[in-house]
Amino acid sequence: MAKAELKTNQKTEIENSSSLKGTLASVFLLGAFIVVTWVSVYYLFVERF
Amino acid sequence: MANSTTAKVKVDPRDAKLSMAHFFVAFSALALGGLMGLLQTLVRSGKWELPWGIDYYQILTVHGVLMGLVLTTFFIMGFQYAAVSRTTGGHSNAARRTGWIGFWIMLVGTLMAATMVLLKEASVLYTFYAPLKAHWIFYLGLTFVIVGSWIDGAAQIMTYAKWRKNNPGQPSPLLSFMAVINTVMWIIATLGVAATVLFQLLPWSLGLVDTVDVLVSRTLFWYFGHPLVYFWLLPAYMCWYAIIPKIIGGKIFSDSLARLSFILFLLFSIPVGFHHQLTEPGIDPAWKFLQVILTFMVIIPSLMTAFSLFATFERYGRSKGATGLFGWFKVLPWGDARFTVPFIGMASFIPAGAGGIINASNQMDQVVHNTIWVTGHFHLTAATSVVLTFFGISYWLVPHLTGRKLTKAMNKLGIIQAWVWFIGMAFMSGAMHFQGLLGGPRRSAFSTYGGSKQAAEWIPYQIAQAVGGTILFIGIILVIIIFINLAFFAPKGEEEFPVAVAENLEEKAPMVFENWKLWLGIAAALILFAYTIPFIDIIQNAPPGSKGFQTWSKW
Repeated sequence: MAKAELKTNQKTEIENSSSLKGTLASVFLLGAFIVVTWVSVYYLFVERF
Repeated sequence: MANSTTAKVKVDPRDAKLSMAHFFVAFSALALGGLMGLLQTLVRSGKWELPWGIDYYQILTVHGVLMGLVLTTFFIMGFQYAAVSRTTGGHSNAARRTGWIGFWIMLVGTLMAATMVLLKEASVLYTFYAPLKAHWIFYLGLTFVIVGSWIDGAAQIMTYAKWRKNNPGQPSPLLSFMAVINTVMWIIATLGVAATVLFQLLPWSLGLVDTVDVLVSRTLFWYFGHPLVYFWLLPAYMCWYAIIPKIIGGKIFSDSLARLSFILFLLFSIPVGFHHQLTEPGIDPAWKFLQVILTFMVIIPSLMTAFSLFATFERYGRSKGATGLFGWFKVLPWGDARFTVPFIGMASFIPAGAGGIINASNQMDQVVHNTIWVTGHFHLTAATSVVLTFFGISYWLVPHLTGRKLTKAMNKLGIIQAWVWFIGMAFMSGAMHFQGLLGGPRRSAFSTYGGSKQAAEWIPYQIAQAVGGTILFIGIILVIIIFINLAFFAPKGEEEFPVAVAENLEEKAPMVFENWKLWLGIAAALILFAYTIPFIDIIQNAPPGSKGFQTWSKW
């Protein structure tokens, strides 16, 4: 019985109001920006010195 | 929006008067310093010369001292004084008297230093590096500014201590805690600049000694110079952490996280001055390396702050029904200058911080050192992130203190002002960054360098800076109009001093955060660890001292 009930349970897409997905994405973007600028100037250093 | 019961709490009118006194000085400095900045960009374009024998280095000194030292110190002290008053229930008469004494000493010192700069006796730029030698009254004036700021800060500490005594076992109000952290950091940091001024520059400029040890004075300056930039930044963080959430109708993501990040700033922003001296001979590279590591530690609380702010915004947006990855961004109150103006400052801190990590990296410093990139960098940090936040604060704090209202028209003008500022700075600071990467020097009156081919490549960037500088000057005119309106002409009324509360009120901040013996002990240990051995080395292996130089033209 219990098994059958489990099977009939439908997957529901509920966006949790306490979700911090956007924050996670934002800090990753921020980190990527820092890495890209750093590597760009590091490349200039390697080229010049 | 959930208005807490404290919404109507007002800063005591007697405290408001002292805060406003600070702001009058700060905004006067902004007006005059801004004009100097405009003139600098025009001179550097190579198309225009200063009239009446006015010297480029003189206006550079006026701009740097007024913007970097006077505007910031007076605004910060005025804001923190009001924030402590608002969140602790007001200053005592003794604290208020102390604050006024500090204010007047700072003002007298400012006038002394300013007089010497105007008389062309002190065109030593705002870093006043030896062996450039100014008139002794300039150094004495700066001493007054620093000592005055200690007394001014002591007023905040007195009120905080009284609150702690009256509320045993309770974590102090967040804004007061933050203000005291910043004041304490300032006092520790200014010990360095006070030491070089009192023991080196004053005796030398008075003629009591003939020479000065340049490296010692520069090391003491940068012991102060780096925490100085955090002294500018932390009041902006106070607004971002503890005021902005209330303005948007949200909550502080975590009160404890905010406190921890401030403690980390106290610990890691001081023992890092060598990263400003990476190209200087006479300092053992191993100690430079150590201080670079400590510098990188400051990235931790900066990123904690970024995370916390994103989280505050996302939580608020989702509570308003926003969905998707970035849906929350759209529902933020973009029509409210109290939010939008500091927000532009926050966003500017992303490229500003990224540039800072480049500056502090030993190898990359060789690419950008002493180029105008560095000028571009601190015009993003101090002159965009920090001052836009200060402008945003003043749009509600000035009417709160003067018993007036931020009108719709002024709110709109505030938002326009911030965009004007942002666009002007994108031109000016952006061009400075690129010109710096091409090798264009900072602190130089010359533009064409006798027709040099390389210098010719920099001219388009210099012109972009003149365009940006002109737009920024329009921004300064706008902010002065708003300030005068809010101080004298806006309609009478009550403007809220927004103070946010934490999302989880059951999570009481750990009392260890208020254990000053612990944090001051760790701060002292880190400073001694990072500086003692290299400083002994610098003194013991010092070259002969230098006599003074006055490289600028006299009247």
